[in-house]
Amino acid sequence: MDIWDPPHYVAARVQRAIAEDERTNELGIKVDIRGDHLFLHGQVCEEDQRERVAEVAAEAAPGLVVHNEVICVAVGEPGEEELL
Amino acid sequence: MTIRVAAVGDIHLSEHARGTYRARLNGIEERADVLLVAGDLTRHGTVEEGQVIADEFRGLAIPVVFVLGNHDYHSDAEQEIMAMLRATGHFVLDDSAEVLLGGRLGVAGGKGFGGGFAGKCANEFGEPETKAFVRHTREIADRWRIALKGLDTQHRIVLSHYAPVKDTLAGEPPEIYPFLGSYLLAEAADAAGADLIIHGHAHAGTEKGATPGGIRVRNVALPVLGRSYATYGL
Repeated sequence: MDIWDPPHYVAARVQRAIAEDERTNELGIKVDIRGDHLFLHGQVCEEDQRERVAEVAAEAAPGLVVHNEVICVAVGEPGEEELL
Repeated sequence: MTIRVAAVGDIHLSEHARGTYRARLNGIEERADVLLVAGDLTRHGTVEEGQVIADEFRGLAIPVVFVLGNHDYHSDAEQEIMAMLRATGHFVLDDSAEVLLGGRLGVAGGKGFGGGFAGKCANEFGEPETKAFVRHTREIADRWRIALKGLDTQHRIVLSHYAPVKDTLAGEPPEIYPFLGSYLLAEAADAAGADLIIHGHAHAGTEKGATPGGIRVRNVALPVLGRSYATYGL
């Protein structure tokens, strides 16, 4: 018997995997499922972390097309001092 | 004379980052008198990642004060990480205080914890797990109050990982606020007095806020700042 997983639970499972998997441990990633498409949003600190997040997501939701819209934080110069 | 405080949090260095972070701190001694680092130094909280932190911050020309964050507790190596940072000449706050810059600046704080914000928070009631969660934050706040009151310095700063107010969480989903901080931390600072509270943890939050008592609060999580560190003049 095929069991249909409501997308709500699949998204929760993927988000949990990204938070708890040792490869990622990334807590702030949003997971959105539309039809057969899985969208990842959020920010990470390292470029290769972006790729690891997508890898863990794909493993946790086989059969869905993963769209990795996670961005890597751009770190600029320190900038102006704020006088308090 | 103004004290210039540099601050950043949530740098999340893994072993991949070895040798790459230090460049962001070049010339910091010309911009600031002290650097405060607001926790989530590592990704998994391993001893190896702790060594990366110790090495990347080694030998800076200004004092560095760290607190740990929830990520730094993940591998149960928090005591070793703190010891490694102290052995490298850094200050680490663990619900404690340090006096710097010849007695002009006192910094008190630690990791902090969650529970939520006044009127919408967990209480010490019901199951032992719930009581333990809230008690952890309350006991931390009590220790911060004592640490702050013991500081007889010109300026006082609270350094935390978790947020003391909601202002600087704007942008985060409200449903997770109880996991991002607690008003008990702000209440302790307002009771004892401080010039500034620095925190991290809320990557999608905003930089600027204030406590109910009027103490300025700054969220210096790296994704919020988008720059190597913020600098505040006191």
